[in-house]
Amino acid sequence: MAEAAGSRQRDLAFYLRDAGITALMTLPIAFPMFGFYLIMGSEGRASGVYGTGVEPRLIWVVIAVLAVFVGRLTISFVKNDPAVTVVTEQSVIETRRYMSETIGPWTGLGLLSLAILWPLLPFVDRWLLDLGILVLTYIMLGWGLNIVVGLAGLLDLGYVAFYAVGAYSYALIALNFDLSFWQCLPLAGAFAALFGILLGFPVLRLRGDYLAIVTLGFGEIIRIILLNWYEFTKGPDGISGIPRPSFFGLPFTNQEGVVTSFHKYFGIEYVSTHRIVFMYYLILGLALVTNAFTQRIRKLPVGRAWEALREDEVACRALGINPRNTKLTAFAIGAMFAGFAGSFFATRQGFISPESFTFIESAIILAIVVLGGMGSQLGIVLAAVFLIGMTELFRELEQFRMLAFGAGMVAIMVWRPRGLLTRREPTVSLRDNRGAT
Amino acid sequence: MNRSVLSVESLSMVFGGLVAVDGVSFEVGEGLITAIIGPNGAGKTTVFNCLTGFYRPTDGKIVMRADGHEHRLERMEGFRIASHAKIARTFQNIRLFPQMSVLENLVVAQHNDLMLASGFSVYGLLGLKKYKRAEAASVEKAKDWLEKIGLVEMANQDAGQLPYGSQRLLEIARAMCTGPKLLCLDEPAAGLNAAESAQLADIIQYIKKEKNCSVLLIEHDMSVVMNISDKIIVLDHGGKIAEGTPEAVRNDPKVINAYLGEDENELEVDLIAPNLEEEVREHP
Repeated sequence: MAEAAGSRQRDLAFYLRDAGITALMTLPIAFPMFGFYLIMGSEGRASGVYGTGVEPRLIWVVIAVLAVFVGRLTISFVKNDPAVTVVTEQSVIETRRYMSETIGPWTGLGLLSLAILWPLLPFVDRWLLDLGILVLTYIMLGWGLNIVVGLAGLLDLGYVAFYAVGAYSYALIALNFDLSFWQCLPLAGAFAALFGILLGFPVLRLRGDYLAIVTLGFGEIIRIILLNWYEFTKGPDGISGIPRPSFFGLPFTNQEGVVTSFHKYFGIEYVSTHRIVFMYYLILGLALVTNAFTQRIRKLPVGRAWEALREDEVACRALGINPRNTKLTAFAIGAMFAGFAGSFFATRQGFISPESFTFIESAIILAIVVLGGMGSQLGIVLAAVFLIGMTELFRELEQFRMLAFGAGMVAIMVWRPRGLLTRREPTVSLRDNRGAT
Repeated sequence: MNRSVLSVESLSMVFGGLVAVDGVSFEVGEGLITAIIGPNGAGKTTVFNCLTGFYRPTDGKIVMRADGHEHRLERMEGFRIASHAKIARTFQNIRLFPQMSVLENLVVAQHNDLMLASGFSVYGLLGLKKYKRAEAASVEKAKDWLEKIGLVEMANQDAGQLPYGSQRLLEIARAMCTGPKLLCLDEPAAGLNAAESAQLADIIQYIKKEKNCSVLLIEHDMSVVMNISDKIIVLDHGGKIAEGTPEAVRNDPKVINAYLGEDENELEVDLIAPNLEEEVREHP
């Protein structure tokens, strides 16, 4: 008992020192961030200072340091409280397995129903509808990239290139050949897949970091070509006036013209959000197709070969699996879905320019896949909602909203180092088979 | 006498200035178990890697006879040696797909059959019956092998979680699921205990007798080699020094020298090949 009390004493001193060091480390960070307040002209005049000035606000530094000190101390005590630490590693794993087995399917169904009903919910306004479209676009991109990174294990840092190819394919084909959205969609997908193969060939022998660097370069090459090939892509000016999609030939327009528009055909009042709702269901449909495709192909020879390739390429060769074709199909199919998403992006915005396809987009999509738990479809949904939703919710914080994005990433990595959902469902199991035969 | 399924003619492999394999020739008889033995660094694994397409040999000719065709392996792409020339192999350091289930490991091995049956996965994508039947057949085949190696209960576990001995057996079963005519085993008994080694020997015999498959193996465990091999090839310093039945090889003075050294009083022999020394003592 005495020994336990002694260790407790030692712990207290240790915690205090630990919290003190942490608080000390806060000081240099908090000092420039909170310690000074920039005074602009008009504000300054009231306090007697003219022009732009800096006012020290050291009280905020003190508050930050104290908050960190107390917070750190609390964490130490909670973490080391015997009542809290009875949870063993094994029981954590068991609980997680139980949770993903029982709650997993329900979460999926719940999120799907929410997604379907989203535009009909009373509190969903135009802004939330747009947010829904944005999140769904990232979910679709995440699911597409998951084929390449999560299943085939090919680290791709230039995924946004295929998104750009899809968007520009749609815009250029639609404007130059006067084709509708539904005619352009498969073409844009095909072009993106072609670029996927084009990228795939030179990187067949590369793996891991080296592959990541080359794909990063590829993404930049595409963006720079789009920026500089003025005659073809209109460079930094971008392409505007991209045709909007129609509801099976019925356009969403209020203009009096020859064609029958959507609201006239159904004999309803013209409401401008009809088009947005249609857009929402369009991207929801595209995303669900991506998901259904991935779920199915995982259980097919190609999908299994992708996963085998991720696990061990040498063993794959010894089993007669053609690594070249397997990698190229992964690149092509992943790129195809990015192409579809790109077409949707172009038709939603009506305007595209190379600025929309910078490296940060690739990084965000990859972050969604990694944070979701590589290979997990539901994990990607949760990560996309969390990351994109969070940055949009904090939009009022302006430049600080990227801090929210970073905080979200750090939080996931601290609590779930291998991603939100890591359980991998086998593609075939013996029990099922026995039941069938 | 059986005809040979694999012929190797003056195979050489040079890495920079190092001659790892120097003009080795041998035949692997159809339906037989052939073992390659030799001290460490004799070039055994290099020969294996040349046969299975992981190295491109510097010189020499390798002919594999499968399905009435002659395949020239020295110029084939690695994966084709498995898919077309019907040679399957295992690795010295086990190479399973650790995060895939035991059953999946065996189904992936039937990739090429399933690809054909599923029209390169297109039928499967459309949900046609034809693919479902093919997949059910592949699962049946996998199940047969799991019963043979006693891992049916573990079928849905991750392969990486199996005990070491089971992983070895699973890797052999996976290689057999590709439907090979020649199975190359790189030190299959390494790290196995006596009981597991005996089970391994049984399975290799089973593969030879029931599956109509020739076996070529590298092994240090002499109890396994001497019991099951029909023919033994001995390599030393990249060259072949002896070839013949276990009985003949055991009594070959050149082999004894290679393993025990010229000076029989050297004590390091115990470390190099204790098993062989025992064999030599028991059957002088």
